[in-house]
Amino acid sequence: MIELLEAVDELDFIEGCCLMQADQVVFSTFPAERRNHETIAKKAFNYVFQNAAKLRSAHDEAHLEIGEKRVSGFLLEGNQILICLSSKHTNIVNVRNNVRELHSGLQQQAQIV
Amino acid sequence: MADYKILFTGSVCSGKTTAIKSLSEIETVDTDAKVSDSVIRRKQRTTIAMDYGVLELTDTAKLHLYGTPGQERFRFMWQLMMSDLVADAEALILLVDNTRTDPFKDIRFYVEEFRDYLVKRRLVIAVTHADVRANPDYNYYMNELKRMGLFTTVLFIDARDPADVLKLVKEVVGRREKTVDWQALAEKLSGNSTVPEAVAVPEEVADSGAKPVSLIDAAINTRGITGAMHLGADRKVLSSNVASMQSQALLKAMVNLVSALEQKAAFLGNIDSFMLCGEEQETLSVFVEEEQALGMCSDKGLSLTVVKQQAADLLQWSRDND
Repeated sequence: MIELLEAVDELDFIEGCCLMQADQVVFSTFPAERRNHETIAKKAFNYVFQNAAKLRSAHDEAHLEIGEKRVSGFLLEGNQILICLSSKHTNIVNVRNNVRELHSGLQQQAQIV
Repeated sequence: MADYKILFTGSVCSGKTTAIKSLSEIETVDTDAKVSDSVIRRKQRTTIAMDYGVLELTDTAKLHLYGTPGQERFRFMWQLMMSDLVADAEALILLVDNTRTDPFKDIRFYVEEFRDYLVKRRLVIAVTHADVRANPDYNYYMNELKRMGLFTTVLFIDARDPADVLKLVKEVVGRREKTVDWQALAEKLSGNSTVPEAVAVPEEVADSGAKPVSLIDAAINTRGITGAMHLGADRKVLSSNVASMQSQALLKAMVNLVSALEQKAAFLGNIDSFMLCGEEQETLSVFVEEEQALGMCSDKGLSLTVVKQQAADLLQWSRDND
């Protein structure tokens, strides 16, 4: 998963990302001045994905626009959550497609190995 | 012959088409079509490309009047007009509908959208529908605009009254065209007036004779939006047509979460929207304001930008009928 995080972080429009496991950030590239966004995103996505699971919903992606920024959360296998920070003017579909493509690419690589 | 151009812009129902019709001496070119989104709440037809009219000020001066479509989804037309048709316009007249929940939100939005365009030309703010809602009043506008750093002319007008709209023209070209007989011009245009004899109820309601469209019905008038939930300041549901209990519960949880986060993280800025998506799931979105909140369910294929635009419009018109 760290590889995914590093690959996502290299995307031009991503300003930082982190990986969350069981309510804890296990790896983060969020810039220091955006740690508050990370904290808010962590709480928000944990809460909303837990609620979705409780209600047996398969929602696995969330976007929260706060100020001039957007934090996007992607629920991955093993209840890990990938959180990305971007400008709120970035196309959401662009963020989604890139994250999903990188994720599936890395999964395929792992299977080959 | 001097040719002047003025561009009218503003939200849907702010009176752009009406203002141009009030002033034009030719049959105006309008491109209206049946409304296919939440604008249904206010009117049945709306401008989708542009409005155009002409007014002869004197034998040697002609005024060309252009109007943008109001809906944000036709923003490409704004760009097209600014870069070509009205690149040489004298002024931008921003019509502001005083019945919107927060007219200053519209002002901020349009000033930002037309920021580059305004570098070389004047901005005049024309407040409309003040006969339906008198507040905010002139003084409030002036104070608030000053606070926003906008030092511009504000005029309260009735877009249906040619004499009123003519004041805007005088404001823009009056200093250069000193020979215009404004009084005579107003009399000449009086036949264009669409002001009813007795103003008692909002035009749209009076004209249609139909029951006003509810916020929830307006929301689902947009193709791809399948349900909506309107909540009050206390976050209790005012109205809803969200059928799925699961979606209802998730939308409520999302609204509560945003409300809580806004209190804790106000220093980061407003939370504009919160969206929950899934590959085979309908998209759930919430938009939270101090006085109200709106939850929406939409097809997963519907652009999230469209959902946001519809929500912004619905919240801006939510005070009247809900």
